[in-house]
Amino acid sequence: MERNKILSAKDIEITFSLRGRKLTAIRKCSLDLYEGETLAIVGESGSGKSVFTKSFIGMLDNNGSITGGSIEFEGVDIANYKKESQWLDIRGKKIAMVFQDPMTSLNPLKIIGEQIREVIELHQGIKGEESKRMAIEMLDKVGILDPERRYKQYPHEFSGGMRQRVVIAIAAACFPKILICDEPTTALDVTIQAQILDLIKNLQKEMGMTVIYITHDLGVVANVADRVAVMYAGEIVEVGTAEEIFYDARHPYTWALLSSLPQLGIKGEPLATIEGTPPNLYNNIEGDAFASRNTHALKIDFIENPPYFDVSPTHKAKTWLLDPRAPEYEIPKTIQKLREKTGGKS
Amino acid sequence: MANKDVLVDVKDLQITFGEGKKKFVAVDDVNFQIYRGETFSLVGESGSGKTTIGRAIIRINPTTSGTITYEGKKINGKIDKALDREVIQKIQMIFQDPMASLNERAKVDYIISEGLYNFKLFKNEEDRYNKVQDALKEVGLLPEFASRFPHEFSGGQRQRIGIARALIMQPEFVIADEPISALDVSIRAQVLNLLNKLKKERNLTYLFIAHDLSVVRFISDRIAVIHKGRIVELADTEEIFAHPLHPYTQALLSAVPIPDPEIERKKKLIVYDSNMHDYSVDKPKWIEIKANHFIYANDKELAEYKTKL
Amino acid sequence: MEDVNKLTDQELFSFVEFNASESEKTGSSDYSYWKSVVITFLKNKMAVALLIIMLSLIVFSFFAVATAKFEYTKIFRDAKLQTPNSTYWFGTDLLGRDMWSRTWYGTTISIKLAAVVTFFDVLIGVVIGCLWGYVRQLDRFFTEIYNIIYNIPTTIYLMLLTYILTQGFWTLAFALCSTGWLGMARNVRNLVFMIRDREYNLASRCLGTPLPRMILKNLVPYLVSVVILRMALNIPTVISLEVTLSFLGLGLPGTVPSLGQLLAHARTKFMDFPHLLIFPTLIVSVITISFYLVGNAFSDASDPRNHV
Repeated sequence: MERNKILSAKDIEITFSLRGRKLTAIRKCSLDLYEGETLAIVGESGSGKSVFTKSFIGMLDNNGSITGGSIEFEGVDIANYKKESQWLDIRGKKIAMVFQDPMTSLNPLKIIGEQIREVIELHQGIKGEESKRMAIEMLDKVGILDPERRYKQYPHEFSGGMRQRVVIAIAAACFPKILICDEPTTALDVTIQAQILDLIKNLQKEMGMTVIYITHDLGVVANVADRVAVMYAGEIVEVGTAEEIFYDARHPYTWALLSSLPQLGIKGEPLATIEGTPPNLYNNIEGDAFASRNTHALKIDFIENPPYFDVSPTHKAKTWLLDPRAPEYEIPKTIQKLREKTGGKS
Repeated sequence: MANKDVLVDVKDLQITFGEGKKKFVAVDDVNFQIYRGETFSLVGESGSGKTTIGRAIIRINPTTSGTITYEGKKINGKIDKALDREVIQKIQMIFQDPMASLNERAKVDYIISEGLYNFKLFKNEEDRYNKVQDALKEVGLLPEFASRFPHEFSGGQRQRIGIARALIMQPEFVIADEPISALDVSIRAQVLNLLNKLKKERNLTYLFIAHDLSVVRFISDRIAVIHKGRIVELADTEEIFAHPLHPYTQALLSAVPIPDPEIERKKKLIVYDSNMHDYSVDKPKWIEIKANHFIYANDKELAEYKTKL
Repeated sequence: MEDVNKLTDQELFSFVEFNASESEKTGSSDYSYWKSVVITFLKNKMAVALLIIMLSLIVFSFFAVATAKFEYTKIFRDAKLQTPNSTYWFGTDLLGRDMWSRTWYGTTISIKLAAVVTFFDVLIGVVIGCLWGYVRQLDRFFTEIYNIIYNIPTTIYLMLLTYILTQGFWTLAFALCSTGWLGMARNVRNLVFMIRDREYNLASRCLGTPLPRMILKNLVPYLVSVVILRMALNIPTVISLEVTLSFLGLGLPGTVPSLGQLLAHARTKFMDFPHLLIFPTLIVSVITISFYLVGNAFSDASDPRNHV
């Protein structure tokens, strides 16, 4: 199946200078995004998942910059963009972002209708009644009842879930090509979360958007994703389709993530855990960053960072265990259970 | 299971905040018991009142009416100093946000020994020092951490410091208020395992407050589902998952995302609308519809539910 | 470290024993709050410069008084109203007294006054502010007291006090202290209000921590930036108040040459003899502005959000 690559990031390196020291937040990440798909980027805090996607819209903090690699979007390498003016054509218009906390994403002093209308006016040049009509239409699209009346209301008059719908309306108002959702439902109740996930799915179908989900919740990933990229310590350690990642995971970190889920745990037995804490990215990391916490670590993991090994045309993982020279190993019980679903593909 | 030892008994609890026009009923007509040695989970969404109940038991929040008894003694409202002291030593709490629950300007050593200082629960400095060392080891932290400050640690480590702080008091009953919600996914497992281990070793009883049903399935013996200040269903863990009767419980269960793409894609979302209940004439009651399975429903609904069992 | 090239593939690809405690050590940062406060403050070059100027001024004033050629009370009848010259560096005043020693003596008096008043303001203000903000039942009580005292015109109150107790350094200090604590208490109370229900305080309550230790260990360490800012603003306020009172003849007794007294003396003659005014004014201004800016800079540095 030939699909269009809509965005292609290659060997991206992002560093921050913090208190006089350099922090390498992203250490050579490559990612291809195909038109119309939903890609989930999974990682824990400190993995760099937010930072990585912020670089697609030029929203890195002032003390951070892309120090290597390229991001190809619509034929241009946007990693080279240094000026705000260059980003204006992309941010909000072609690539839009939805953040975690709807309260801080909205201007508390402006009616929400205006906040949507502004975006339409700014990016599409449509003014007056026409833009207002489009804004009300957008409110309706995101499931807000009685949109004409609610157009005139302020953010504090909406509940958390409603506010997030408004934020999504603002982001989608200009029919962007790519919608990046950075933990959009983490701060919401689980019943509201389910509704928001459904909303984004429907909008995606209707508007033909490509969606990137950043999340730490593997349940959300299972619900929304076509493809999944797993990040650890500033690198993408495994990428594949949702089925491949859940039923045929190959990287020990992915195993650990899946095994540690209480939903997959066996009552009475301790959950599989990942001991220790993620590495300090101020320091230069030798070898595989996950090595010290890896129960399946090989000696070479501490010496040299593994390259990607292909498991299938759509599935690859960055672990020495896939090297032909690697010894036999035992997969954790939880992973075995998941694998049995597909008849144990390997 | 005839001789179950009731440790905590909550009867007709009501907690109201504010007065007059600004009155807000956070918890209404809540009844439940917690047996010694079990993990009892209270599950609800934000604003359901679950945290309020937990805080009322440990006496941080006042109650408006109803009683909370511990080992038969009433512990809400005004109580004498001796009982207050007993409550503090026997009931402890683990908080949700590891970033906010530790005093940033105090050393870990002081943070963990705070309770010991309050009641002079140590013989001398050496004894206290040893107690702190033991507490750190028990939660899987290194002894050298005692001389450091909270900001030097990760979320999971901080949460374990909070657990050490509570456990050093040798409590019998621990209220864990969303102890893993603010933690990273892989760290949650560590903390859950730790809580389970400590429970077995010290014969603890837990009240586990959470919003994530999938987590509580793993850790609890019984689950109570709370919605807008009222408990709507209470039963053994597996019973709730096998036969969720109240529509809110069903909605909650269907909303929880399961980390399995096949199941998730086939799932149909159930939405709960509280207006579906008509309680104008047929008033609802808290009824034991089946052995150890309680539900809040009126007669009409009870009849419906019975057919589903 | 073994030579990688010498290891065979088999050795490289063998499993390594998992060490749990090793993995516990990573990930902790070496951020120190106070260190970062100092570093952030030092980055503000202007504040550092002003701090140095201010401290030098203060030290110098004491030094100048000790080494002055002429005593500040000594009257030189034939040297009245001399403009600054080689003998009298700041000139002389109406009665023929050396302005140099008088000005610096006055500065030390003002500094001592400011120090005493600020010390007590902080002590009383912090304690009351903490109780006010933390103990729910006391909130109303203290708010009423605050409103009452706040609305009494300071000048009239001070006039009354000075009338009742005789004029003198300690009377003035007492008078200024008795109203000065209000601002500090209010600031402290507002901050305590914000932090009193944070989880770490709830935790302390669950552990049965008594009130005095709650204030000392849980509240006071978070008040540092607020207190220092208020202190820094307090000092110029005290000096200005003293000046105002001296103008009204209510400050220190006429014999004591505080900065305010000097300005009061200069009132009638300064048009023709500006030197009487310039030096005291200059010193008051430098101290006031320096304290204000340094205080603000320190307060900004104490805010963890500014630690980058």
